[in-house]
Amino acid sequence: MTLGVAAVLLMLGGYDPVQAAAAMLRGSVGSWNTFVSITLVRAVPLLFAGLAVALAFRAGVWNIGAEGQLYVGAVAGVWVALTFTDLPGPFLVTSALTASVVAGGAWALVPALMKLRLGIGEVITTILMNFVGIYLAAWMVHGPLQERRGVFPQTDRIVDAARLPELISGTRLHLGFALALVLAGMLAFVLQRTRFGFHLRAVGASPAAAVVAGRIDTNRVILLTFLASGAIAGLAGGVEVTGLTYALYEDLSDGWGYTAIAVALLGGLRPGGVIVTAIFFGALQAGAGAMQRDAGIPAAWVDVVEALVILAVLGLDRIRAARVGHHAGEEAL
Amino acid sequence: MKKKAMKIGNGYMSQLKLQPLAAALIWVTTACVGQGSDTPESDFRAALLTAGPVTDVGWYAGGYAGLMMIEDSMGASVSHQQTATPAEFDEAFIAYASSGYGIIFAHGNEYQDAAIRAGQEFPDVTIVVSGGGRVSPNVVPLIFRLEEGSYLAGVTAAYVTESKVVGMVGGVEIPPARGAFLAFEAGVHAVDPEIEVLQVYTGDWDDLAAAKEATVAQLSQGADVIIHNLDNASLAVFQAVREVVEEGRVAYAIGMNSDQNELAPEVVLGSVVIRIADAFHTTAQMWQEGNVGGAPIYANTEQGVIEFVINPMLRDRLSDEELERISSTKALIRAGEIDVPRVVFVEGEPEDH
Repeated sequence: MTLGVAAVLLMLGGYDPVQAAAAMLRGSVGSWNTFVSITLVRAVPLLFAGLAVALAFRAGVWNIGAEGQLYVGAVAGVWVALTFTDLPGPFLVTSALTASVVAGGAWALVPALMKLRLGIGEVITTILMNFVGIYLAAWMVHGPLQERRGVFPQTDRIVDAARLPELISGTRLHLGFALALVLAGMLAFVLQRTRFGFHLRAVGASPAAAVVAGRIDTNRVILLTFLASGAIAGLAGGVEVTGLTYALYEDLSDGWGYTAIAVALLGGLRPGGVIVTAIFFGALQAGAGAMQRDAGIPAAWVDVVEALVILAVLGLDRIRAARVGHHAGEEAL
Repeated sequence: MKKKAMKIGNGYMSQLKLQPLAAALIWVTTACVGQGSDTPESDFRAALLTAGPVTDVGWYAGGYAGLMMIEDSMGASVSHQQTATPAEFDEAFIAYASSGYGIIFAHGNEYQDAAIRAGQEFPDVTIVVSGGGRVSPNVVPLIFRLEEGSYLAGVTAAYVTESKVVGMVGGVEIPPARGAFLAFEAGVHAVDPEIEVLQVYTGDWDDLAAAKEATVAQLSQGADVIIHNLDNASLAVFQAVREVVEEGRVAYAIGMNSDQNELAPEVVLGSVVIRIADAFHTTAQMWQEGNVGGAPIYANTEQGVIEFVINPMLRDRLSDEELERISSTKALIRAGEIDVPRVVFVEGEPEDH
């Protein structure tokens, strides 16, 4: 029905909904190359950030700060890539990504400690840290990390050795996508098959019960989960700059850290689910670009259509959930 | 708050179990519905990329008007995309270049790196980067000499200011913006070196709240003429000035990028106009003749692309003698007699200030 609403809205705006839908599909899954070079490429940061959010949410850690963690990850990655240019190829890019992992984790450490030591809710603190992270990146490209000529608000381009190789030759898809898949597999394993994963899920289901019944050190679990979540979100930024943009810009992310929340929730907070929803959102965004280009629909309209498609998916799932019945609640454990 | 959020979270976990499947399903369903038609297209295709909305009555709107002009007067089939992130820049270039667009206008310096990359991949496509700083055989910067109009705006501001304080509210501190403000300041000081010139950059072309705050701050520091270099947020500058005028103060704003005199005719003294549309049109014609490539294109007052247009409604705030001097200054700039300061930012361009 929401899709019907979208179609009617487009018609009211004087645009052809069929043409719009066709453009959206051509632009996202129209050909193998489109799917790989645009949809999957767009899915990569959403995949990392979505995994970061899903992991945190599973432990009941409401990390809304993936956006900021992503930006500081990008800053750290670019800084290493620009500074240690003497390192041989694989080491340089690995160091850059490691730096983004550390930076993302460090960024999450602040709200984690504020939560554990001072009892301040992480929803507020992570959101606030986003602003700090975003503006830190903005300051970096105007200040310490600005390109050598000091003209444009961006860094210099990183050397070839600091760039992630392409995953499928002839496409724009870089190794970051494979990294994200491996990471998703690792997270699924940790969550389901390890003691720590069990503790994490127990804390997420009920921190009080985890302490009493499971004698689990909830603070330790929360701290580690928070750090891991921040680290993964940081990696999202590191991978974007080493795999795709090859330089740091102010508007690196289009709110991916926030979209990641929808990606994670729609994916049922499971790594496998996040892979599917991240690709779905990637396709949606790729299609949105094509709707502008090929169907002449302005960006604002495209955003509305995009939102309506997401609502449609949510609604459809609700209906399915209702049909499946009332076995809610057990999935967390 | 936390407790509530937690409850929502757990609810989602159970309810959204089948989400991925549902997502895939709806995608396939839409796929089946949408087998669309193609519009008839001309061989000459031109595309425009902007990083902001073309409804900004300024910079982006000018680019879009240029695209429309190319469509109407040259019979091109045209397309526009608004991009948000650097990752999208490459994507848009590739999409346009591989579907037969011969010339792509990338309307902002942020596109330059992606443009160079795309230019290497598609040697037959020409990319024109507004305010760009890098040149290759098929990627050329289109440089608007905004400084020339800003200088005239500065001269005019110096004539009307009573407080002897004028202000400049900028968006992002990029070279063309720096150059425009530098020239404005030079114009002000050419009339009266004692006038104080305030300057602030909000860091955002479209942030209305930040622009208004900055303008209010400058007005309260005594500034009575405020020039901006913003996109969408320019409306906030006019609003802030309008509010003090309604309180009985005498203050003016100066428009930038397009003729903004109509937007707030009671406070906008004049506008530094870039006839972006004309510049795009001319560039497209030059391109058809095979004359675009390898070197920057300059658009200035000489070709009438850059102008300072005084708001006819507020023309009476200037004496005849002052108006006379403004137009003689304009003539001197055109003739190259006045050395308007500018910021050089194209790689390899000679640094002649």
